[in-house]
Amino acid sequence: MTGAASGSLALRVAAFALLVVFFQIGVVSEVPVFGVNADVSALLVAFIGLMCGSTAGAACGFAVGLLIDLALLQTLGLTSLVFTLVGYWCGRLRELRDPQAALTPLLVGAGASAVSLVGYSLMEFMLGVDAPVSFELVRQIVLGVLVNAIVALPMWALTRRVLEGALPDDPRRRRRRRSYTTGGLSPLIKP
Amino acid sequence: MYDKTVRRRRAVLALLVVLSLLLLTAYFGESPSGRLHAVQRDFLTVVSPIQDGANKALKPVRDLFSWFGNTLHAKSQLAQSLKQTEKLRRELVAAQAEKRTNHQLIALFHLDQLGVGDYHPVTAEVVWKDPNLWYSTVTIDKGESAGVQVNDPVINGEGLIGKVAQVASDGALVDLITDSSMGVSARVGTSDATGLLQPKVGEPGALLLQYLPANQANVGDYVVTSGTVAPPPYESLYPPGLLIGQVTSVNEESAYESVTVHPSANLHDLDIVQVLTAGAGTKPSNLSRLAASLPAGQASGAAGEQLASTQVGG
Repeated sequence: MTGAASGSLALRVAAFALLVVFFQIGVVSEVPVFGVNADVSALLVAFIGLMCGSTAGAACGFAVGLLIDLALLQTLGLTSLVFTLVGYWCGRLRELRDPQAALTPLLVGAGASAVSLVGYSLMEFMLGVDAPVSFELVRQIVLGVLVNAIVALPMWALTRRVLEGALPDDPRRRRRRRSYTTGGLSPLIKP
Repeated sequence: MYDKTVRRRRAVLALLVVLSLLLLTAYFGESPSGRLHAVQRDFLTVVSPIQDGANKALKPVRDLFSWFGNTLHAKSQLAQSLKQTEKLRRELVAAQAEKRTNHQLIALFHLDQLGVGDYHPVTAEVVWKDPNLWYSTVTIDKGESAGVQVNDPVINGEGLIGKVAQVASDGALVDLITDSSMGVSARVGTSDATGLLQPKVGEPGALLLQYLPANQANVGDYVVTSGTVAPPPYESLYPPGLLIGQVTSVNEESAYESVTVHPSANLHDLDIVQVLTAGAGTKPSNLSRLAASLPAGQASGAAGEQLASTQVGG
């Protein structure tokens, strides 16, 4: 990946992340679905990690988290920490497994949402927020994961469209390239 | 090369995590007037115009989403309201039924004060009603175990209802006064003229008081049970003075007249009734036993009461 391509990708990711964060704060946070709000910023971080790798995912997670903490006057570093881990793990998933199933974005989105919601709640508890662990909290987390899972596929499609062409190593291109240049998985041909 | 990539990846992760933890610790540890809080406030100052602009620009989108949300919410609210309405309606019906039961019980209480002292009233609930047009029998939830016997009079707050025709351990079948087998010795108003009250043939729900001396009844007069007017053993099964109905028309027939009577009790709307049971050895008890011991065809109230009336009339 050249420096220009890398710069183009970073620019796109930054612009898109900024838009998504403002959209999250300005629109999504004010539209409850089943009593909870979707969290497209967590989905964004997860999908950046899934498309661009662990380093980019972690960096994006940190930046998006910091932006959210700054804009919403939350405890600085809290969302950054959670999103950094989410972005990193999603990137690692891509690097280790490279999942290609159609439902991968949905599952990754749901998982990332669950990790971010539970992680955020745990961190808040550790910091001494005076809130009881109740069934309502569990219900909110479960509903939040479900709503995010519903939003995951459109968000994945949008992220993919925005970053298309600037992605470092498109799994589809890589698969095509492998099959054309190496003759697929034939044991008769040495790679 | 691979090691370098791995090291860089891990270094970036460690750096970001440490940075987050540092931020977290510093922010959490400092006072609201601290440096990080100030940065946050400054950031807000910078981005607030952007936020405002974005807010206005995104308002239609938000409204669109809100519209969907509100529509869904309205649907759930409608369902909730319908459920609540249904619940309130059920409560209203229950309250109305309770009110009616209460009225009936109060009426029965007043009736008790009128003097049915020889009897032991047993309050019972109508559990089954004959659904056909003639509507001449009902089943009540009290039977032998409560002291109910065959031929016991059955009343409610509006007057005479009928008599017990069959009795089981915990239930009894009541023949209403409109049943063809019924016959009650009755009199009009306060006069001494008595006759035999029976269902009017061909007119369900109406009664015919026969064998009255001429010029004794007028339209609108009340008809009550005459009680015992014959010498033993032909006494009436029913205590005297129980309201039965009101005269609706008078028919002259030679030396006698007959009057059509409309029952005062709404026989199609019976919920609570009272069975006038009699203690063993009392006069009503003996009468009931006597009527029950009559051969078939004469065991009915009509036969027994006709005997009594004939004695008087004759």
